[in-house]
Parts: sequence; structure tokens; C-alpha cells
Amino acid sequence: MAEVKNEVLTRVYILTFGIVLPMALILMYKTIVIGVVEGEKWRDYGRRSYVQTRPVKAERGNIMAHDGSLLATSVPFFNLYFDPTVATDDEYFDNLDTLAYCFAHYLDKNFTVGGAREYLIDLRDTLENRSRHVLLKRKVSFAEKKKIEQFPLFNLGRYRGGLIATKLSERKRPFGVLARRTIGYVRDQAKDVGLEDSFNKELGGTPGEQVMMLVDKKRDLWIPMDNLAKIEPKQGKDLVTTIDVNIQDITERALYDAMQYHNAEWGTAVVMEVKTGRIKAIANLGRVEGKREWYEVYNYAVGRAIEPGSTFKLASMMAMLEDGYITLEDKVDIEHGKTTYYDQEMVDAGSHSAHLDTITVRKAFEISSNVGLSKLVTAFYGKKEGDKDRNKERKFIERLKQFGLHLPTNIEIKGEAAPVIKEVEDVKAGWSGLTLPWMATGYEVKLTPLQLLAFYNAVANDGVLMKPTLVERTESFGIAIDEYRPTVVKKEIASRKTIEQAHQLLLGVVERGTARALKTKRYKFAGKTGTTQIGYKRFKNRTRVRGYQASFVGYFPAEKPVYSCIVVIYKPEKNGIYGGDVAGPVFRKIADKCYDSLIELHAPMNKGPKPILKSSQLPRNVVGEKKDIAALLGELDMPYYDLANTEMVRTLAASDSLILEQRTLPDNQVPSVVNMGLRDALYVLENRGLKVKTQGVGKVVKQSIKPGTKARGQNILLTLN
Amino acid sequence: MNRSANSFKPNISLYGPYLALVLSGWLMLFSIGYNEVGYSLNTFFSTALGKQTIWIGISLFAFIALQFVDWKFWQTIAIPIYGISLALLVGVFIFGTNINGATSWYRIGSVTIQPSEFAKIGTALAVASYLNNYSTDLRKWQSISTLALIILVPMLLILLQPDAGSAIIFTSFLLVMYRAGFSPQFYIISFFGMTMLILGLMYPATNVTLALSLIGVGLLIYYTQPKFYLAVLYIVFIIASYEVFKLYPQYHLYQLLTSIGVLSFLAGIVWNKKKKREVSLVLMAIFLGSLVSGGANWGFNHILKSHQQQRINVWLHPELVQNKDAGYNLEKSKLAIGAGGFSGKGFLQGDMTKGNFVPEQTTDFIFCTVGEEQGFVGTVLIIGLFLYLLVQIVIVAERQRSKFAMYYGYSVAGILFLHLFINIGMTMGLAPIIGVPLPFLSKGGSSLLGFSILLGILVNMDSRRY
Repeated sequence: MAEVKNEVLTRVYILTFGIVLPMALILMYKTIVIGVVEGEKWRDYGRRSYVQTRPVKAERGNIMAHDGSLLATSVPFFNLYFDPTVATDDEYFDNLDTLAYCFAHYLDKNFTVGGAREYLIDLRDTLENRSRHVLLKRKVSFAEKKKIEQFPLFNLGRYRGGLIATKLSERKRPFGVLARRTIGYVRDQAKDVGLEDSFNKELGGTPGEQVMMLVDKKRDLWIPMDNLAKIEPKQGKDLVTTIDVNIQDITERALYDAMQYHNAEWGTAVVMEVKTGRIKAIANLGRVEGKREWYEVYNYAVGRAIEPGSTFKLASMMAMLEDGYITLEDKVDIEHGKTTYYDQEMVDAGSHSAHLDTITVRKAFEISSNVGLSKLVTAFYGKKEGDKDRNKERKFIERLKQFGLHLPTNIEIKGEAAPVIKEVEDVKAGWSGLTLPWMATGYEVKLTPLQLLAFYNAVANDGVLMKPTLVERTESFGIAIDEYRPTVVKKEIASRKTIEQAHQLLLGVVERGTARALKTKRYKFAGKTGTTQIGYKRFKNRTRVRGYQASFVGYFPAEKPVYSCIVVIYKPEKNGIYGGDVAGPVFRKIADKCYDSLIELHAPMNKGPKPILKSSQLPRNVVGEKKDIAALLGELDMPYYDLANTEMVRTLAASDSLILEQRTLPDNQVPSVVNMGLRDALYVLENRGLKVKTQGVGKVVKQSIKPGTKARGQNILLTLN
Repeated sequence: MNRSANSFKPNISLYGPYLALVLSGWLMLFSIGYNEVGYSLNTFFSTALGKQTIWIGISLFAFIALQFVDWKFWQTIAIPIYGISLALLVGVFIFGTNINGATSWYRIGSVTIQPSEFAKIGTALAVASYLNNYSTDLRKWQSISTLALIILVPMLLILLQPDAGSAIIFTSFLLVMYRAGFSPQFYIISFFGMTMLILGLMYPATNVTLALSLIGVGLLIYYTQPKFYLAVLYIVFIIASYEVFKLYPQYHLYQLLTSIGVLSFLAGIVWNKKKKREVSLVLMAIFLGSLVSGGANWGFNHILKSHQQQRINVWLHPELVQNKDAGYNLEKSKLAIGAGGFSGKGFLQGDMTKGNFVPEQTTDFIFCTVGEEQGFVGTVLIIGLFLYLLVQIVIVAERQRSKFAMYYGYSVAGILFLHLFINIGMTMGLAPIIGVPLPFLSKGGSSLLGFSILLGILVNMDSRRY
């Protein structure tokens, strides 16, 4: 008996102390291993791999044109995922049928309702592929997402329904390629360019932070864990540029047409507001290799320093005028447009010079004689036999610097090429005995189109050199944050007299010179053509040239300049090479369009005494809010008599004057809204609790409930016309 | 001696831990479902927590109601209850609902009920009732096979659903059988077999056989002459064999043949020394062990599908698991427990156990929430509570006058123990991940009600034991 008892005791002990207790101890041991001994490792691993505080991208600000049109904007979209394991069985299966219906009808039309139901059951039940992030749909708009969130089950929210929406955004340019290179882009794989790049910080905003959890390693899909504190991202600022969408559009179109017509390698056109230096349009087109297509592939206006050629002659002339060496009526022998410096030939471009010898300086400029200009400059600034120093040459360079030609514009976008104005005797830079005569005609110097334009703009602006700018201000939710005021770089690049003479010279080019074919009767403009040799090699009696660069730079209207503009077309292959033939017409097209839109330039049509209006010409029976009507009449400069002391008024025409008559609307009745605009009608009717439906557009001509009926929240149909 | 039915005293050392565990489970669920929105009264009962609250109410009601039953009633009704639970298990194939790939549930309105939870109670009662019979003698094959039948029928029915987790719980009756005097040899052989099986799943058959025969060589040397120098020689031999094994993987087969040769040689010597029984035992063990492990290995490679292999690998060879998804649950569960550290992040502060970071958070992996929010302290407290409850059940079982009540108590302890070990073990990688709820804590009406009834019956029996 005792033996049996002993054996039983042994068995109880073995069960208790041999199995249950050790197992419990093992479990405790393991928790201490995971939680405490390896705790740091797991915590660290968790932080690294599954739960992280991750930056939340802020919404990027918009880039807007001068008038507020969107040039670049971020459009949010969503990728929708579904976690079928979140919902409870009850909720999942209760909603299954309706969800399947919605799924097949709105989400994925490839499914039948039955198929969608099967699919949803599979998602939930097939353990093997149970994914917690089934992709439902990509690139869903906000409105679509709102709708899908209303589906049964999904409407329970993420934690009970399992719908996960990850927000992404896409940069859109509503105007397409318009000023694409200047607006620029920020992309992962490409170099950032343009304003998007330079103002990346302002546009980008401040990223927020949120604790997120990794739900899919392969897709790197993180979803926020809502219950934890986060830093809200701060939306980026909007950038208001100086670009005028209309001018930009015409500039781009005119340039593109010319590129096509002349099959040029690249071209650029920039329009600048004279007084402020604000760039109203900037177009850059480069030819696609081997094709006859042009895109905004590079910002030539900013990034490409070129030998300007004849357009630089203005600087040479101004230097001599500033120094008082010449007057416009002095004579110069242009030797029929052909001369030689040392072993290099210099010829005039175009056919104007062939039959001319001694002409006025003014004429030499107007017909753009290389010989004339270079001879004048070498005569006054060249080193003569017996000169001990080269101070005269230095003086010329000093003048050019006085005009600000050696200064980069420091435009807001990156990649500006520096201007090249050689220093005297700087052999490294290539200063030689030939430099001065060639410089006089715009060779051996390099300027970007924008830098040259800035110079011409200063001339147009009576000597005030403005910094070219692309950005007016940054805004946040419509409130200006930073204003970028027009900046004066130099108050006076030359004396009043020189500037005036420069105006005459430039006007002469259009009136009588190389650009006279572009002349218009509607308005006057001034400018200079340029036909520059490119890829040249000069010999004693001939010059080998790879091609030409046609340019035109000027301003308009000549009397009171509003805009300055430069057009450069590089290597035209067809239909002409001269600045006046290739670049000039583009300038004209742009100038025409700009001129048309400059209301302040046109003589006002209502100039003269105020017309007396007859009662038939007066607006009668217009019903609306008094302050609106008063504002409108004020704007139109129409006198009226105000006899009303109500919010709503009606206009009455009595012989030659307008009367505002009061319009009392009873509070609890349906008033008559006929003749009101929809805005006023809605205001009046909805204030009385009516539900308004409308058809048509225009003013209210008919209302479905008679005036005077008691207002009880009825539906009312307004017919508009 | 029989006291009247109205004078009873439920044992607080049983229902105390029970109530504490149920409350902890409720708090954990509260924390998982909690977010900054909090709970609102309007929707409370449609949340997981709300439903669980209802189930807790039902379970407590059942637990209390059971106390008004006379304990003899259980003995009378044990077999009928067992019959009903079998019928329910069969019926689930016809009327049941398939959820998550297993037909284990009855759906009544919006309530789902899992008959396997109640089959545990029925089987526990039936096992206790059968062991209570005077004619039952676990040394006889007839008794053993009858008992095995009682246990295996529900187990197989559940396995067919298929619900391996619930089925495996039925092996806990082996603990009761041990207490009832079932032969220890069975357990030793089972243990040996299980070890071989697991080794077979982990390593190729040659490796296991080689290891077995080397151990056999040791034993046989001991039987020839238990001398110290021979032991030293043997150890040198083992180390050498291990080095060779490591260095020349291409000669494994030769090595195996050599050690079998040595083994046979030694076997001959010992056989001649008239220790035939020892020799045949050693050889038999090596032979059967190799067979089991080889079979397991072959089955693993040729019968199991790759996802099944993966699930075993997650448990036994975590480093081999290429597909991260397979080890995903375990990794996340460990992360959550690891995040808790010593004292945890605090109540409601566990961010990982919210938002469904760990799959099956509210049911099978609820222990992670304890780990994350209450840390090591909390987990030890929970395990301690269970341990206390188990020891109390054993004490209570031992003091029963009725053998029926005693065996029933052991059945309850066994079921709870296996649940506890597998559930917590799987959250930490000690056991394979099979769906087994943590008693009293995991969300789920059937399991909570099942365990409440299971324990309630025991408390009732104990309080009326005289």
C-alpha cells in the first residue's frame, strides 16, 4: 500500500516539478531573453525595420505667373490598399455582398459582382497569400478616394475597415511646356533646374514627422500609426513669378515658328519690363538631334555666353560718345565694307556697304558697318606708334565696365554663364593686337543673351541698369511672405546725352537701317540687328565660317519704352541668315502682341467730354445688392441717384439719369428674384430657407414659386437666361 | 457524510487567478482597441472589446451557474456530454462555416461558436469518467485502447476541420494518463520518438544515424569494460569523428559505415559477454531512431509542400527562412515583446500592438501586448498566475475523494498547461506557430466560455467534495 502511495507521489511530483514548473520557467526565461537581454537588439531592430519616425513630405508650393495662373502645381493622388485582416469576421462578412457590388461596379470593372465576392473571401481566408496590403487601385484622385471611402466596410475607417490610402503627389504644369526650362523641375534622377531648383527650399516647405509602420518590405510601404504624436508638415510657399502667360505664349510661338522656318539649331527670346527688369517671357528652344523638333532643353538665354556681334556695337558707340570722341554726324570711311587688320580680313555683313565709302557715324551704325565701327574704335582707343602705355585701350574696357557689361545678371536660376570682357594685355584671355577692332564689332567678347538684354534695357530705361528678375514674391495661402522688389544695379550707366544719342541710333536702325523692313506705322520701336559669324577662321582675304547667329535686341514703344526684348537664333539653315530677316520678325511678332495688350499706351477711346447717355442706353431693371451695383457704376463712371435704403436695389432709368430704387423683400415670403443675378438670388432665397435648383445661365427670368407664397423650405426652380 | 447541496464554499485559489486572468485579458483588449478617439458608448458593443465584454458576462454567469449543480451530476452526465460534443464536431462539417480555411465554426446570427472548445470539456469528463471505472486498468491493452479511442476520435475530427492547434491540445490527456498509472516506458519511448522526429526534420538521416551509432558505441564500450581510460579514449574518438565530419563532408557515408562497423564489432563482444538484452536494446534504439528520423526527413523533403516546410523551418531553422513573410509573425511578435523591455511601455502606450502590427493581435498573439505594455514584469506575472492556478488545480485534484473529480482536475490542468505552453511558446519561437488561444486572455467567446465552464465544473466539484 505504501509503495502504491509512493509511486503516486512520484508521479505527481514528476508532473508538477518535472514538467509544469520547468516549462513555466523556460517561458519566463525566454521572455527575459527577448525583453531584457536581447531587448536593445529587438528595440533597435524594430526602430530600424518596422516602426520609424519618418518624414512626411510637405505639399510643394505652386509656381504662378504674374497674374496668378498656375505654371506648376502639385496635384495629390492616392494609392489605395486594403488590409483584409483588420475587420472582424462579423463586419467583414456582413459587408461582403455590398462591398463586392461596389468593388465590381466602381473599383475594378474586370470583376463581376460574384467574382469580386470570391476574391474578397479569398483575400481574407486563403492563409497562404494573406497579404495585409492588397493593392486596390493606383493613382486615385481625391474625389474618387472620398467615394471609395464610402463603400461598406471601408467606411469604418482604417482600423476597423482596413482601407489604407497613401498620399502622393504629382507635379503638373497646366500650361504644358510653357517656359518649361525656366520653371524647371525637381526629379529624382535628373539634375534639378530652373526656379523649382533655386526656390526648392521655399517651395518644398518643412517636412513633418510621423511614426509609421512598415507593412510591405518589398514595396517599402509605410502607413502612419495614427495614435502617436506627429509634427505636421508645413506646406511650401507659392512662388509668384514675373512671367506673363500671354506674352510667354506669343514669345514661344513666334520663336518656334522661326525655328521651324529657318531650321535653326537653337534660339532664345526674352521679354523684359523696362522699368523693373522683370522678365515677362523667356523662351528657349533647342533642336532635337537629327529631327525637326524643338524643345525647351536648355536655358540658352541664361546659360550660354556667345559673341554678340553687331548688337554689341551700341556699346562701342556709347563708349566713344561718352568720351566725346565723336558726334553722330562725324564722317568715317567704310572702304566699301572691307578692310584688313594685320593678317585678318574684316567685312561688313549684308549688302548695304558695298557701294559706300565715307558716311556719317550714324549711318555706319544704322547699316551696321563692321569696318566703320572698328576703324573708329581703333582710331580713338588703339595703341599708336609712340604711345608709352596702353591706357587708351584700358579706357575702352573701362567704358564697357561702366555700362555693366562685365557683370553677371545674377538671375534667380542657376547656371548663368559669366560674361567675358577681356582685360588689356591679358594674354591668357587671348588679348592681342586684333582684339580691339574685333571687340568694337562684338567679337572676342562673350555675353549671354540675358546680359546683353539687361544692357539694352538700361539704355531704354534712361541709363538705369536693372537686375533681371523672374520672381515677384513668395506667398503662403495668398498672403505675401517675401517680396522681391526691382533692384537697381547701376543708377546711371552713361550720361543723359549719350543715352539720348543711343536712343536715336537704335531708332535709326529701324527707321532707315538694317531693320527698316520691320518698321510699322502703329508704333515705333528701336533696336539693333546682329548677324554674327560663328565657328569662324579668319584669313587675309577671306573668312571661313561655319554659320551665323542672327539676333535682334531692342525695346518698344521707342518714345516711352515699356518692354525690351532680345531674340537670338543660332545657326539658321534656311530662308536667310541676317538678324533683320531671321530674328527681327520674331521681335516684331512679340512686340505687336505686347503693344496690343498695353492698354495704357493706347489713346483712350473715351477721351473728350463725357457723353450724355439717353435713357434707352441706361441699364434698366437690374436688381442686385446695392453695394455691388454702386461699385459697378462707380467703375463705369456713371452718375446715379440713390433713393434706396435697402440692401437690394433696382435700377430705374429716368431720362438721362439712373436711379437706384429700393427693393424690399419680405422675410417670410418667397420674394421675386426675377432680374437678379444667380448670386443675389441664391443669397436671398436660401436666407429664407428655400432649396434652390437652377437651369440655364444668366439672369433669373422665371421662378417656379410665385412671389408672396409663404417660404417653408420648398424647392424652387430658377430658370436663367 | 454528504453535505447538503446548499452549503458549499468555492475555492478562491481557483477562481481568484481565473478572475485576475480574465480581467488582464480585458485590459489588454481595451488597450489594443484604444486610440485617441477612445470608446464611445454608442458603438462600444460593436467593437472587439465590447463583444468580449459581453462574452465575459456570459462566461461569468455560466461559471456561477455551474456552482449550483450537484457534483454527482457531472459523473452521470459525462458520457452524454461527450456524445453531444462528438455530434457537434461531426455536425460542423455539415452546418459549419468556413473561416480562414477551416470549417470549425457554427454561425448563429452574428455569433460564431467553435465546437472544439466544448469537445475539450466533453472529453475531459469522459476521460475522468472512464478512469473512474473500477474495471479500468491502464496496464491492460483493452483499457488503454478504449481510453485512446475516447481521446483520438474528437482529436481526429478536429484535425479534419483542419485545426491542428486545437487537435494538438488533446495530447494533454497523456498527462492525466500518466497520473492514472500509464506505463512510464510509453512516455520514454514517445519522448525518444519525438526527439528523433524533430531531429529528422532538422538534419539529414545520415547525420542522425551517425550520431546515434556513436552514442551506441559509447554505451557498448561501457558494457564491455567500464574503465576510465576507455572513457577517455571514447571522448577522443568522438572529438576526432566530429572534426572529420566537419572537414570532409564528402566522406560522410564512409564515416557512417565505419562507425556502424565499429558498433557491430563491439556488439559482437558484448553479445558474447552475455549482455544480450542490452545489446539488442541499443541496436533496436539505433535502428528505430534512424528509421523515424530518416522517415521524417524524407517526408519533410518529399511530402510536405513548401509552405508547410517553411512553417517548420520558422520554428526549427529560422536562419533558413528566405521568405521573410513566413517568419514575419514571429519576428513581429518578438519585436513587440522586445520593445517592452523590463517594465514595459505602460498601459495604453504600446504602439506596436495597435494598428494590427502583430497579426492575430487580439487572439493568438495577445501575449505580445502584455510583453510590450507591461514588459518582463507583466509577462512573469501572467505566467506566474497560470503557474499558481495549475499548481492549485493539482492540489485540489489530489484532495478529491472521488477519483472522477481528481482525474477531471488533472485533465483541466493538462489542457490549460498545453494551451499556455504552446501559445506563449509560439509568440517567442519556442513552439511552432499553430493557432492556440491563451486561456482566459485571448479574444474569442467560445474559448473563454469553454475554459470558464471547464474550470467552473472543477470549482463546483471541489466545493462539494464531501
